[in-house]
Amino acid sequence: MRSNGIPESGSRLGSPCAAGPSLSDVARLSLSIGRLLMEFGESARMINEEIAALAHRLGCDSAEVYCQHAAIIVTLRRGEEFCVQMGKVGEHGVNLRGLEAVRDLARRVSHGGLDYSAAQTELDNTPGTTSSYPVWLVCLCTGLACSAFGRLLGADWLAFFPVLVGSAAGQWIRRAMLVRKKNLFITTGVVSFVSALLAGVGARLAGSSRLEIAMASAVLLLVPGVAVLNIQTDVIEGKPNLAAARGLRVIYILLFMTLGLIAAQRLILQGI
Amino acid sequence: MNSFWIHIIHQAIFGGIASAGFGILFNCPPRIILYCMGSGAMALAIRTACQSANLNLPESSFFAALAVATAERVLQPFQQTRGSIIALVGSIPMVPGRTTAKGLTNFFELLQARPGEEIAAATNGMRNLLEVILTLAAIGTALAIPQLIYPEKQAE
Repeated sequence: MRSNGIPESGSRLGSPCAAGPSLSDVARLSLSIGRLLMEFGESARMINEEIAALAHRLGCDSAEVYCQHAAIIVTLRRGEEFCVQMGKVGEHGVNLRGLEAVRDLARRVSHGGLDYSAAQTELDNTPGTTSSYPVWLVCLCTGLACSAFGRLLGADWLAFFPVLVGSAAGQWIRRAMLVRKKNLFITTGVVSFVSALLAGVGARLAGSSRLEIAMASAVLLLVPGVAVLNIQTDVIEGKPNLAAARGLRVIYILLFMTLGLIAAQRLILQGI
Repeated sequence: MNSFWIHIIHQAIFGGIASAGFGILFNCPPRIILYCMGSGAMALAIRTACQSANLNLPESSFFAALAVATAERVLQPFQQTRGSIIALVGSIPMVPGRTTAKGLTNFFELLQARPGEEIAAATNGMRNLLEVILTLAAIGTALAIPQLIYPEKQAE
């Protein structure tokens, strides 16, 4: 087992090549790229393409990538030698700037602008070094997005601000719980309940006549839209196993979201 | 300006705001947030127009997602970003989250339904979930079509 948690398996691992990195090093780099792309919300096809392109530019004759929900397996071949490695994948999320950083790094390695060890170090540091928006801005924009959803779904203007506050607070709670490594599904349920409750109470106090829509809009930040669309892409592109695993996870997220919403609705809508 | 155009503009504006908000949530690079907003506005405007022409939600969502994915694919040579980030974020407001929650809520209500109410609750739940599944399938397929017909070339 390697120090970065990537177990190594296979046979006839590549010996260092005078012209470039060893096959084992290329496989390790490919796994790190694939793992980060998957954790940042990329579809299986794009991961396959990125790894295959990198491996070919680093002298491999063929590169096979097998993406699963919790692991990636890479098989590389160069002349007579071949290498198989498997790496674990962490929590799936969405980080588009992270995706761009990883793709850019893969491109620089392919073009010889970055050597293997520097690339591996940069990749290992990517989750910490990728720039992100301030927390307050993310919460505010998430709230604004949910309020806009409310308008699209037919909520009145009186519910606009309560939905904004409810979903912004929900996003802040979600981030705080996920940073503390709390269970994703429990977090989803809690956030759904709090967001819907705040939006419902606020909308009721404001005199809105569309409480149900307001409460439902406030929890839409939890709908895993990118994961849902990746499921479609994976199915269409012939990756049913990955799609099924992603789908099961999405179903559970939606279930916990609905439970939180129903609990809040029972409190707010009772007697109306 | 008649109510049809006002409705389209309303949906486009709030679709754009929702897309931009989700773009920030997904940590989109700042330089493409405006594109995401435009993509969301375009998607919602097309979907609303299709619905006004009596197409159902899955059909309307399909044409809207196909339009933004095609537009992104055509404009790809002028962008720095690979992949389909802009079309993806633009399609997020069309993901029927509320209908999903409504469908699941209907199934929960089925557990408490009085005699005679079960069929209505089950039918509503099934109809909501069917609509969700078909809409998601339509969006996913539409987003994939331009890439499948005209795949992106790897950067040289």
